[in-house]
Amino acid sequence: MPTVTFLPSFRKTEVPKGSTILEAAQKAGFHMNVVCGGQGKCGKCSVMVRSGEIDFDREKYGDFYTDEEASQGFCLSCQTRINGDLRVLIPEGSLVQEQQILVDSPGVPLEINPAVWKYALTLSPPTLDDQSPDLTRLLWGIEKSGGPKEGSIYAPLEVIREIPKVLRESGWRITATVALVPGGYRMINVEKGDTTSHSYGAAVDLGTTTVVVYIRSLIDGSIVGTGSNYNRQISCGEDILSRVNYAKRGGLEKLQALAVESINAALTAASNSAGIDRDDVYEVVVAGNTIMTHILMGIDPAYMIEEPYVPVVRRYLTTAARRVGLVVGKNSGLFIFPAVSDFIGGDIIADILASGMAESNDISLLIDIGTNFEVVLGNRDWMFACAGAAGPALEGGEVLFGMRANPGAIEQVSLDLRTLKPSFRTIRNQRPRGLCGSGLIDLLAELLRSCIIDRTGRINTAIAHERIRQGRQVPEFVVAWKEETAIGKDIVITENDIKALIMSKASILAACQTLMNQAGIGREEIARIYFSGAFGNYINKDHAITIGLIPEIPVERVTTIGNGAIAGANIALLNRRKKRVIDEIARKIAYIELNADPTFMDEYTGSCFLPHTDLSLFPGVEKMLDQCRILREQS
Amino acid sequence: MALKPLEIYKLLPKKNCKECGDPTCLTFAMKLAGGKAKPEACPYLDENAKTILGASTRPPVRKIRIGVGERAVTIGEELVQFRHEKSFFHEPGIFMAVTDLMTPGAIQERVIFVRDEILTRVGTDLRLNGIAVRSVNGSPTAFTKAVEAVEAVADLPEVLMAGDPAVMEAGLSVCGNYRPLLHAATSSQYWEMCRLAKKYACPLAIRADSLDALAELSGLCSAEGIENLVLDLSSLSLSEQLNRSTAVRQHAVSRKTPALGHPVCIDTAVSGLPDAALIAGVTKFGSVLICDDLSSASRKALLVLRQNIYTDPQKPIQITPGLYRVGSPGKDAPVLLTVNFSLTFFTLQGYLEASRVPCFMLIVDTEGLSVLTAVASGKLQETLVRDAIAKYNLSAEVAHKRLIIPGYAAPLSGRIEDATGWKVLVGPRDAADISEFLEKEWKG
Amino acid sequence: MGVSTLSEWTGRIGELVIGATAKDGGTRSHSVTIGGEEDLPYIGIPPSGHRPLVAYELSDDPELWPAAATRFIGDRVHDTAEWVAHADREYQPDLIRLYLSSTRERNFSDISRIGETVESVLQATELPLIIEGSNDPAIDSAVFQKIGEAAEGERILLGTAEAGHYRSVAAAAMAYGHSVIAQSPIDINLAKQLNILLRETGLSPDRIAIDPYTGALGYGFEYSYSVMERIRYSALKGDSDLAMPMISSAIDSLVVKEVREADEGDACPTAVAWEIYAMLPATIAGASIVCVRHPLSIEPLKTAIAALWNGEPKGGM
Ligand code: SF4
Ligand code: FES
Repeated sequence: MPTVTFLPSFRKTEVPKGSTILEAAQKAGFHMNVVCGGQGKCGKCSVMVRSGEIDFDREKYGDFYTDEEASQGFCLSCQTRINGDLRVLIPEGSLVQEQQILVDSPGVPLEINPAVWKYALTLSPPTLDDQSPDLTRLLWGIEKSGGPKEGSIYAPLEVIREIPKVLRESGWRITATVALVPGGYRMINVEKGDTTSHSYGAAVDLGTTTVVVYIRSLIDGSIVGTGSNYNRQISCGEDILSRVNYAKRGGLEKLQALAVESINAALTAASNSAGIDRDDVYEVVVAGNTIMTHILMGIDPAYMIEEPYVPVVRRYLTTAARRVGLVVGKNSGLFIFPAVSDFIGGDIIADILASGMAESNDISLLIDIGTNFEVVLGNRDWMFACAGAAGPALEGGEVLFGMRANPGAIEQVSLDLRTLKPSFRTIRNQRPRGLCGSGLIDLLAELLRSCIIDRTGRINTAIAHERIRQGRQVPEFVVAWKEETAIGKDIVITENDIKALIMSKASILAACQTLMNQAGIGREEIARIYFSGAFGNYINKDHAITIGLIPEIPVERVTTIGNGAIAGANIALLNRRKKRVIDEIARKIAYIELNADPTFMDEYTGSCFLPHTDLSLFPGVEKMLDQCRILREQS
Repeated sequence: MALKPLEIYKLLPKKNCKECGDPTCLTFAMKLAGGKAKPEACPYLDENAKTILGASTRPPVRKIRIGVGERAVTIGEELVQFRHEKSFFHEPGIFMAVTDLMTPGAIQERVIFVRDEILTRVGTDLRLNGIAVRSVNGSPTAFTKAVEAVEAVADLPEVLMAGDPAVMEAGLSVCGNYRPLLHAATSSQYWEMCRLAKKYACPLAIRADSLDALAELSGLCSAEGIENLVLDLSSLSLSEQLNRSTAVRQHAVSRKTPALGHPVCIDTAVSGLPDAALIAGVTKFGSVLICDDLSSASRKALLVLRQNIYTDPQKPIQITPGLYRVGSPGKDAPVLLTVNFSLTFFTLQGYLEASRVPCFMLIVDTEGLSVLTAVASGKLQETLVRDAIAKYNLSAEVAHKRLIIPGYAAPLSGRIEDATGWKVLVGPRDAADISEFLEKEWKG
Repeated sequence: MGVSTLSEWTGRIGELVIGATAKDGGTRSHSVTIGGEEDLPYIGIPPSGHRPLVAYELSDDPELWPAAATRFIGDRVHDTAEWVAHADREYQPDLIRLYLSSTRERNFSDISRIGETVESVLQATELPLIIEGSNDPAIDSAVFQKIGEAAEGERILLGTAEAGHYRSVAAAAMAYGHSVIAQSPIDINLAKQLNILLRETGLSPDRIAIDPYTGALGYGFEYSYSVMERIRYSALKGDSDLAMPMISSAIDSLVVKEVREADEGDACPTAVAWEIYAMLPATIAGASIVCVRHPLSIEPLKTAIAALWNGEPKGGM
């Protein structure tokens, strides 16, 4: 088998001839960027082959590389087959950027209270005087070492079958594993010797494009390994709707299998990186959007995307992990976060759990932003939620020089109010290639502060300045001159880009306002705002308020929780008591259908303004803008 | 006083027992706030909650029916002062007046007109509602004859207008079983009018010089057991009419003066400016509008105004998506794309008709949003256009592949071309310019 | 108990003056003031503020004008000044609203003609004027400068500023002492946004009239009606960014199907009814200036407004 050596880390792996470099990289534990799912469409999985025999169709994928790049050995890892030993350099841009993941909920201290216990027991062998059966002996042993009462533990037949052999072969020194499941205590494993230190659980975020797995020690809560993988369902359709349609056409079983395969692959990567045996994973907790979790359970999601959009189940589900095909410990349990509606899925419930808002008396607003967004308002007593489409602008889509948060993306910008000269920072300090979401938000705020755009986003072309000019169709502002960039072109933001951004931000603010109106809550009553999702991690919170992406509250009360789905799954894994909280959240949430809400459209047009048509909602921003205006008038 | 869901929620028992049919108390509260549920559905409300919720869900303007059968008119039941707050519910009934001085032939001509004349707009039939019979002669027999003449040709709802209870009773002897509105009781004869209203189970209009006196009279009639009251606010002065009807609605919806929580009647002949009085009546809270003869132009405009004011403002009126023809377009006729917001549709259709260029209108489903908002909110997308072209089989209708899109949809032009393979021409922003556009861009 | 209208308002509509007399450096016979209300339209006896006014609309390019309107005027329509003088004399509107529609022609460039037209109209009437300029960013600046300059000192109401192009109108108005019509497409938020944008150019709020755009009767009029009610309501509730008087013109009234297809004998009354049944409700919703194109709509509309205003019965409409 050929050996592939990955640079710069020199990590090695062996794969059969004919495998793709992508497969090899994943086997070696790299989290590759595979936006199109390995179809050779996105170009995000590029690697540089330094030496060795490969098979790659340069003709077919010629568009992705310049001649110079081709001569340096660039190729699509998903489309390149391995013919012999290779040395491959993985550019940073081709790796999924590690996200900051909060595994504690900011509001609630983390408790380690898992639903699985291991008891190392030394039992006295039976004698003619002591003829109690093996199982009783075992159960007594558990009770004596502080475990649940003998009578309260159920032992399934599969485990009982193992007992006599394990007891005797181990010389009566064994470890029993007991789990708390909805029916009560259940013995899920007996092993020889003392294995109490090998007790793990897995938290899984089953996303539409990516699967993330965390393996945690159930003893001290520590993270022992992580792994991620693209969701292999991508081959059946890129977005969620096409997956549902695929399921409708009889593809449910395949989708289910692919979901399981993706989780298993990520589990493998995580357990490999942790150096543990997957059989020692005793519980798997999965948070995912409604469609994903329904598919994972093999439940037809078709009816959820039709009116009135009801999910099949609105409570958490538990079953044996192996029953759905997950390769972990034999009798390990699987816990799946509940879904509330088509859009408010287990991932959002996990966000809520991670934020701690459901356990607080204070009112919080939680916003999860991606191409779709979800907003939740409430506290421990009540909760409203809604969802909508924000459009891709905030992620850099549909913006002329927009890009994802990859190296070379301008992620921070500020403008000198007097000279209007931008200063910016790019990801990995490379020459700029474009603007990512956080850079766009900065830019929008700065353009507003410097009065280059008016509150509807129109560029004031009356300002005589070299950076303000008429573009091909609409006016534009030059952020970086071509000499400074890595793309040989001026990087500009056009008036159309700005409009697209304003529309995106407006739908989110309008959703927040609609929930607040429904509840009759003013912005002063909001104690915290939580941002979840990768997007929220990098954005400048002040600027998010300046442009009216979120309601104005003191900026120190805005918190980001990163990938809330994985955070929530981790919390539930480590603390079984949270499962009750999860169920309560799911039952408490009242879902508001924005399209059916007559005030939403009104709020939306009101929000298509920087920061909002009702200036009194943003008193701090207004004060700041007034000062900027005075400054600008002076210069 | 509309309560917010959370305010209502705080009044509920928070048991989440589902007995109301909702999964949680909060969702039930949302339904209550939206008027989509009745408080009685929750068996565990305490007294305080019952009073607050009960009062806030009962309509502040009483619901009343005039007439019987198919053409009967329902009025009242209004909740708000401004239509944008929710909606106005029951269109005012428009009653054309006849008098007992007219010949039976003349009376019947008018009655038949009201009975048969229909104006159809936006798929709805608009018509006048009924007949008001004025006692001018003063004699009971003349009144009886006039009412008989009306009854002979139609089962329309009626307003009997006679200040003399004896005359009124004469009219009732003809049509008393058909629930006419009795017009009108005053402080000097109200008990007799109440007796008649009770005997025939009819709604009763009341009239007084001031709103205070009217509120008092309303109380007196209630005491006589008559609750189905209509407040007559006809006035010589239009200013007074408007001020009074506004005050009545304000007092009703704020529940300050429940005695004024009744529909309003206006005799638009009184002011001498019938069109203006009708306009003020339709826009500002009239529920029974009485008029003498109306010109055909005024009648149409009045019916359309009433339809406009009483449409639900929260529901953009939508046109069924599809392919519409203007004139008889041929294979080379232009195709104009627009949205299914009715205002946009009708405006464009009007200008297209005026342009005399036969063409197709391809109406896509933007859920009633205008072009501007549909583009802004992403409802109008290239895929929508592509699907519509396929669905309505446009390629079979025309022999070209050129599509004219609204000026405000210009940002989508490239994407529509890519998605459909049709060549896109960006039309004007203003429908008024379409004729010129077709002249220069299409033909040229 | 004293039952009367309830008013818990805190706001007041600002006043806007149109037209300047010799005393103020203009040539108008009088100026008019609109706005100033502290309650709902026509509420109060007498009502607060100023009585709504009726403007007569005409165009320097009769080709672009509805036949139902020009038919009545005859050949005079080809001489804008004569048309104006005739309308002033015969129909006595409160204001004249001149549309310089010729600027909407393709590749229009004859800016000097605009100046001449404005000057001739100023000669032809002493009524306060509303003048509508171009709608094309390429020429807006030149056109509005020209109008502003030609009417300098006359305190005209200059139209139309929209969110997409408001700077040149505002600049011309500020330079020559005029006021601005701020038009937005039937939406209270958009109306407010435009007022804020104009304010931020330095235009004073007492130089703005809101035009919320008015659909013709049966063609979306109800949306406009409610937007006007909402604007007035918000202004009275204290929103100063909406506390400007409103101008309403159902510009499509004379080209809607009902009017175009009316029977011969009914054509004229239908045209008038379609204008009156939209414009009188517009005043009830809060418009301070309502506009008509059919000359016979002017008198009955003025009569009806007067009756709603001071309660005097006056027969014959
Ligand atoms: S019946 Fe009453 S207590 Fe029970 S869920 Fe409904 S509202 Fe709550
Ligand atoms: S090209 Fe998309 S993953 Fe390789």
